[in-house]
Amino acid sequence: MSAPIGSQTANIAMTAGMPPKRVSRTRRATFFSFVGLGTIVGAWLSFIFLSENGMRLSEWALLIVFIPLYYQLNVGFWTALFGVWLMNRSKPDPLDLWLTLNATDYAQPIDASTAIIMPVFNEDVTRVYEGLRSIYLSLEATGQSSNFDFFILSDSDKASQWIEEETAWLELCRQLQAFGRIFYRKRRKPINRKSGNVSDFCRRWGKRYRYMVVLDADSLMSGALLTSMVRIMEKNPGIGILQTFPKQIAADTLLGRVMQYAQALYGPPFMAGLDYWQCGEANFWGHNAILRLAPFIEHCALPPLPANAPFGGHILSHDFVEAALMRKAGYSVRLLPTTRGSYEEGPPTLVDMLKRDRRWCQGNIQHLWLVFAKGWHPMSRVNFLHGILSYVSSLLWFLFLALATFLAATPTPHGDPQALLAEELLLGLTAMLIFLPKTVILLDEVITGRMFKPLKLRLLTFVSSLLDTVVFTLMAPVLMIFHSRFVIYTVIGRSVNWVTQRRKTDGGVNWSEILITFAGVSLLGITWTALGWFVSKAFLLWISPILFSLAVSILVAALVSGSRSGRRFGLFLTPEEYDPPTVLQMMQQNLEEIKDRLQLSPELERHYGLMQVCLDPYVNGLHVSLLRRRRTIDVSRGYLDKISHRLLTEGPQSLNSQELKALMHDTDTVTNLHYRLWSAAEHELAPFWATAIRQYNLASTSPFAHTLASRELAA
Amino acid sequence: MEALNIQFAPETGTEEEWNEAYARLADYFRAYNLHNRIRRTQLILETLRKAAEAHAKEPERPPTAHAIEQARLMLLEWFGKIYSDMNLSEAQLEATGRLGFHLAGGPVRWPQFFLDEENMPEDMGEAMRSALRTSGPGMQISKMTPRDMDLGIISDVAEDTFDRLGRHPLLRYSVLLVIVLSVLGYLYSLFA
Repeated sequence: MSAPIGSQTANIAMTAGMPPKRVSRTRRATFFSFVGLGTIVGAWLSFIFLSENGMRLSEWALLIVFIPLYYQLNVGFWTALFGVWLMNRSKPDPLDLWLTLNATDYAQPIDASTAIIMPVFNEDVTRVYEGLRSIYLSLEATGQSSNFDFFILSDSDKASQWIEEETAWLELCRQLQAFGRIFYRKRRKPINRKSGNVSDFCRRWGKRYRYMVVLDADSLMSGALLTSMVRIMEKNPGIGILQTFPKQIAADTLLGRVMQYAQALYGPPFMAGLDYWQCGEANFWGHNAILRLAPFIEHCALPPLPANAPFGGHILSHDFVEAALMRKAGYSVRLLPTTRGSYEEGPPTLVDMLKRDRRWCQGNIQHLWLVFAKGWHPMSRVNFLHGILSYVSSLLWFLFLALATFLAATPTPHGDPQALLAEELLLGLTAMLIFLPKTVILLDEVITGRMFKPLKLRLLTFVSSLLDTVVFTLMAPVLMIFHSRFVIYTVIGRSVNWVTQRRKTDGGVNWSEILITFAGVSLLGITWTALGWFVSKAFLLWISPILFSLAVSILVAALVSGSRSGRRFGLFLTPEEYDPPTVLQMMQQNLEEIKDRLQLSPELERHYGLMQVCLDPYVNGLHVSLLRRRRTIDVSRGYLDKISHRLLTEGPQSLNSQELKALMHDTDTVTNLHYRLWSAAEHELAPFWATAIRQYNLASTSPFAHTLASRELAA
Repeated sequence: MEALNIQFAPETGTEEEWNEAYARLADYFRAYNLHNRIRRTQLILETLRKAAEAHAKEPERPPTAHAIEQARLMLLEWFGKIYSDMNLSEAQLEATGRLGFHLAGGPVRWPQFFLDEENMPEDMGEAMRSALRTSGPGMQISKMTPRDMDLGIISDVAEDTFDRLGRHPLLRYSVLLVIVLSVLGYLYSLFA
């Protein structure tokens, strides 16, 4: 291993944090032996059953798709079981990073400089800044915040959004008295998306900091955890990336609540299990993690992949690759087992989940290029393969079902007792692999009360778990169809666009969106059922749970996207809902306050930022001050004058986003727009502006405070 | 504070036009969050008087345009005095001045001195100068360049194939069609 750089900590082994090879090897040998054994037994039983009358080509095909599926099932099963074992054994895990800190460490002041960065792209401004405020105040409460700086790194390409981000930044800094602590940076061109945004930060300011905490726009982290992460990094200079387990919070739809419940209950044992066998070669998930900046800058720049998108080009799922590059550079990538302090939000509806999966799928499939690249640690290759398999397995499952249907249509007699026994054993074994981890984790919760101490709540987790099994059973076949499509789309060259993730619904179910998205899946389910009816009634019965889920996918999508989530019956309750941590409580209080704010007309609200930058002298001044002055501009002055005139006489809706952006990038144009607007007679202006001049300062006394709660710090 | 002189008798322009100019100026100064109504009225009248002189020289432009232009000139002059020691362009001066006044708490602390060149409080000027903000700390440039990565022999073969398929959509779909037809052909052979 090359000597790690970046840490200034004295008297500490520079490899601290890198698990000893002997331990890693033993753990992996144990884990993969179980996984391999399970897979071989499954494949062997399957072979015995299929080969009773000799193997046909279709039976070989079935066996081939069965093996990776069974391998994946085994990986999940053994990860969970190892996790439960680790959580319950009396002897502490020697690799537990929390054990590297002692009472003296906690008493020491933190002198390592840390940048907390939050890349954003057209996100809900209020949520971003209220989240940031909570993190900032939580960090302040630790008394160790002086060496932490915050950066909002914007790639937003909507003009109004951009201005709102700027005004919210200024107001937040003013309210928190945090000028010089919270910074805002807007890139002119969003080259290479999020990873490009982070790299841009590293190039400009990376040298100033020893560590970088990467957050997503919906991340929330407590000050206590942030300071502990820095202390762990200081004590373990061999760690390049330390990834926490972000728990899902703030869901208000059935899907969101089921997901966050499942994550709260099943997540910790899975994380413990992953930590057991991944050791120093864990994965980076792109956020809620701390990175050692010097090696990250030196070794983790992402090369473009050969060929064009979607297979090649810019690496979409950059985090796995950065983790592999960090490991290749000789630093470990570690998981930090956490149950509190690290949070994120999940997609609220099934459609939003699929949109996110579409991006992730393409990103993971791209890793095919990297699996065989030279120089990786073998575990990095395994991580890439598991990432690919997580989506390709859907296509394999689909093929498995299609082949099974075909075999049912061309049956061969099965009378050999050995083959029938193999079939029964395989069914039993598969059921065990699917349901045993859940049962064990549930029993663990009821006995230990890890999530909830009151017995009533522990028993309620039983009911919630039964119901989440129903929800996941209904959703899994639908996800299989979509993931299969995503894999095929990627292979045939249909790329994805970079879109903003929706994190909240506006309350109602969007039926048209659901119908358009799931009608084809329902039709497939009904057709398949009809086919199964003609093929074999026994087969139809066997496959009916899957076909039923497909046939009713429209209803399932509507059901899980609705706001009836069983909250009033105490179902799917998580520790964060039952006893919200301070950092979450603070954010939710502020978000509630803003919800009650007076709103302007929808058109003014839609273009709020643009309206303010043109009308308000202070917002205009702020925006011009933050723009970088350029000697030359990308477009001609005549063009800018023409679109400025259109903006004033026809309103913002007459300009497309490119034109609005061009206007907002030029200091002289933005300054002149302000005066031209105020100088024009009412009849010369578009109705939008005539209304705006009369109403724009009605919603709040300060244009800067419209998107933020009013929480002045005591002087 | 100087006495309020409400006499205003423009030589050019209609009463309606000047009323419109008055209303616009009132809105404009309100946009500065100046809640001191007396100071706001003083400013409006002062600006209107200057606008009336300008309108007499250039009557083809409406009084509202003259009024806002005069307000802008007054602002530039005032900011110019406050930031006289800084080398700022006109657009920078306007932006910095407006932002500085807001961040210094000018609308609340010194509303009566807004655009008052004669009685400018020293602490106001100081507060406005020190309120200059930038969005990021000083840069310390690092190089972050990707290292060469040997993707292995498979990538060479795959790259050529993808490039070729990417350049020729017909070829891409033909490959897909061949695969689908092969599967269908196999199925047919089994049932036939």
